[in-house]
Amino acid sequence: MIVVLAIDALEYDLVEAFGCDNLKQKFYGKTDISEFSEPRTMVLWNSFMTGENREKEVLALGDKEMWNIKLDIKDTFFARFENPKILDLPGFNYDKEQHELERGMLKEFFTAVGDEEKAEIRKKYNSHAFEHHRRIKKEFADALSGDYDFVLGYFSAADVIGHLNFGNRALMKMIYRDMDEIAAGIDDTLIVLSDHGMERIGMFGDHSDHGFWSTGFKDLGNPRITDFAGIIMEISEVE
Amino acid sequence: MNEENLKFVIVGHIDHGKSTLIGRLLYDTGSLPEGKIEEIKEICESLGKDIEFGYVMDHLEEERDQGITIDTAQIFFSTKKRRYVIIDAPGHVEFLRNMITGASQAEAAVLIVDADEGVKEQTKRHAYILGMLGLNQVIVVVNKMDLVNYDKQRFDAVKEELLRFLSEIRITPSYIIPISAKEGDFVARKTSSMDWYDGPTVLEALDTFETRKSARDEPLRFVVQDVYNFDKRIVAGRVESGVIREGEKIRILPSGEETRVKTVEEYLKDVHEAEAGKSTGITTEDKLFIDRGDVIVHSDAGDKPVVTDRIRANLFWMDRTPFKKGEGIRFRCATQEVACEIERINTVINSSTLELIGEDTGEIRNREVADVTIRTDAPVVVENFNKIQELGRFVLGRGDTCAGGIITELEGEK
Repeated sequence: MIVVLAIDALEYDLVEAFGCDNLKQKFYGKTDISEFSEPRTMVLWNSFMTGENREKEVLALGDKEMWNIKLDIKDTFFARFENPKILDLPGFNYDKEQHELERGMLKEFFTAVGDEEKAEIRKKYNSHAFEHHRRIKKEFADALSGDYDFVLGYFSAADVIGHLNFGNRALMKMIYRDMDEIAAGIDDTLIVLSDHGMERIGMFGDHSDHGFWSTGFKDLGNPRITDFAGIIMEISEVE
Repeated sequence: MNEENLKFVIVGHIDHGKSTLIGRLLYDTGSLPEGKIEEIKEICESLGKDIEFGYVMDHLEEERDQGITIDTAQIFFSTKKRRYVIIDAPGHVEFLRNMITGASQAEAAVLIVDADEGVKEQTKRHAYILGMLGLNQVIVVVNKMDLVNYDKQRFDAVKEELLRFLSEIRITPSYIIPISAKEGDFVARKTSSMDWYDGPTVLEALDTFETRKSARDEPLRFVVQDVYNFDKRIVAGRVESGVIREGEKIRILPSGEETRVKTVEEYLKDVHEAEAGKSTGITTEDKLFIDRGDVIVHSDAGDKPVVTDRIRANLFWMDRTPFKKGEGIRFRCATQEVACEIERINTVINSSTLELIGEDTGEIRNREVADVTIRTDAPVVVENFNKIQELGRFVLGRGDTCAGGIITELEGEK
């Protein structure tokens, strides 16, 4: 089985700072996403799945409509596996309601005026994101014990929580260490990949201009996110 | 409650539960800010796990970074007996540097070992440093007993392995306590999880330790930090030991010149003496040449420091770039700083295996301990570490500190 731990906004610098050795594996580094005009989640995961830069096509749909993309498996490298399991990946099969709710609360937060109101929204927002995180963790653990030849688990907590709380290092550390524990529990060939990282803007977080990758088998240097479809297929042939 | 603080350090392998033990100690002694533990518990539960006390320090640091409350370099808690200060040392380099430079002087140490993983290289290295620094109030805690089902045999095996090593470096721990910092077993309270153990908890053990005797009763060592010429000439420094009083006859080392203390100066205060631990200023009856690094002692005291340019010492090298014989390096002791060379590297040993790496060798590498003979370019005022620690410990540096050491023997007294 090949496993991809797809972690939205996993920041290279924090993986280092928090000593997440399981996320780092043997070889790790930053991905090069400089070919994209901005580090956009939907654009990057679309490009990952197809192995092609899909920025133009995704952006053509507009900011709102792009979130409705659901690629057919035939248009992705997943189709080349016999029995793949993909969990919650944006642009493929993610829980749209969940993500819409999160975006709605984010908007609500930034339009709220009073501190108390903001604190209340932040609490609700975090709680919602964590609840989703627990659900994906459970589904991912189940998938790992299933009869699949490829499992991809997409985890959004570092991104979702990070947008409102990236300045709170203690909270971010707990999320990163949790992701590290998830990585520690994977015995199969593992690729850890993020679309982009995150940088601190006061108490908040915004997407950074590089992603994170790691493997236990090969130094990939400074790969592009579109390289991973080929890299993964190459491993699957060897396996 | 006794007003004296006892300062201690927790050392050991990075993953053996130091942060969890600190978090547990703070929680069990009610020393955490209100709501802090609930906040951590809530996030842990949100992530689908039990509370992890290891995150307490992170959350306190977060508050410090936001300028809210706490100094995490020194962490305080109290028992019924007294107040404690945990000196936070992220690694052995910081610990050794702090101890050697006097930035934070631990009077006791807790050496933590994971019951499941057992004694690791880092455990031994940290233990070696404790031994080198003469810390003799040591508690060994065998942590994570919950992971080995509180098994006595496992505890005994770890204990035996560690005691074998500690006896080689002449450390006799005062207590060896099986604990689970995560579950709270035998940290602050006795639980039924290990009915085969009838010794004290960590807090009970700490309460039996003695605080360091005040250096007030020791011979005067006033270390000069600077000399200021205002309307009067003030010699500023720190009383490392003893008491300096107005009218006393003093000797300036290394020059050996003598004079009397005219006044003891403290801003907006009328004082006539300053005792150990105090940073203060003095004026003298005669205008002598006094400079940073000089040490002032009582003229009539029989027990004086040694002025020498040759020192025998044990040092712990803690820089990735090895030291090569012939390299010039800076020697820093109290406020003295001079160039020096290591004349002879008598022996080098591995600090975790105690294996002899070489005799009369030409190199000291990272984490190795060496018995060396140092020759300084100018005479320095020093003492055997066993006599007056403040003048018996030193660091060697290029730009940053590369090694910390203690003086074991003084040659060529001048």
